[in-house]
Amino acid sequence: MTAPAPIAPTRARGIDPRGPRVVAGIVAITFLAVIAFALLGLETPAWGIAALVLAIYSAAIFLFAAIAGVPRHPYGILFRTLIRPRLKPPVELEDPTPPTFAQGVGFVVTIAGILLFIPFGPIALVIAGAAAFVAAFLNSVFAYCLGCQIYLLLARLGILGKRGAATA
Amino acid sequence: MDAGTVAIVLAGLVLAATLLGVLHRATQGRARTGDSRIVSIEGVALGGRATLLQFSTEVCAPCKSTARVLDDLAARTADVAHVDLDVTHRPDLASRYRVLQTPTTLILDRDGAVRARIGGAVRRDVVVAELDKVLAA
Repeated sequence: MTAPAPIAPTRARGIDPRGPRVVAGIVAITFLAVIAFALLGLETPAWGIAALVLAIYSAAIFLFAAIAGVPRHPYGILFRTLIRPRLKPPVELEDPTPPTFAQGVGFVVTIAGILLFIPFGPIALVIAGAAAFVAAFLNSVFAYCLGCQIYLLLARLGILGKRGAATA
Repeated sequence: MDAGTVAIVLAGLVLAATLLGVLHRATQGRARTGDSRIVSIEGVALGGRATLLQFSTEVCAPCKSTARVLDDLAARTADVAHVDLDVTHRPDLASRYRVLQTPTTLILDRDGAVRARIGGAVRRDVVVAELDKVLAA
């Protein structure tokens, strides 16, 4: 493959593709903590509350990033100021739309766990936390693209893109 | 549940996610054959000898790298066309051609028959090998 020349990371349309993967890594670790607290919370209610608080915090971050866009993700700013200055410039830049969509999916999963906590207790956060962890972990470590399957599924179910215009 | 059990559960979860990732990665970019249906989509002109038909959505980072590879191959090879279809607003096409992920690439021969299907980001060498088979026929 011909290697494209490195693009200067200055206010171009795209973002450094490593940013969302670092963000996903931090999210994955957060959800390991949510799961741990929720498991301990099965016996000790105080831990369950700790899991709930951390889940609410995560949901707030997801919601902010889904609305404001991944370029303004708080963890992404951490990446840009602390990590990226020590790395080579990215070979190519990436459209921020796919990782922003993934933040929305993260929000939906997390809010489901929070709401189901009310009738079912900490086990809801164990299950939702495990789903969020697996997605974030795969994204961070394997560059798994959540939007590539979920977005298409939603489009096929008619939830997205109902305009029906051919874009060949 | 005590802290030791919690640690074991978390380790198991990380291990399971890693296995899932390895399995998923192994399926990406591989060419599959065996589906020889004829592709015919109104408004889509096929290449004279072969067509690289890519299904994409706008929310798909690997679609862009795949489009670059396929565009370049089509430009270098006479009578080979690259067609990139956004299925966000054409879910009927996604259903008709059983597209479960984007990008999905179909390599078509001169008659529009599917000769190979590649799910996920394409690898240049895989596409070249499949395309060579189609062009040699």
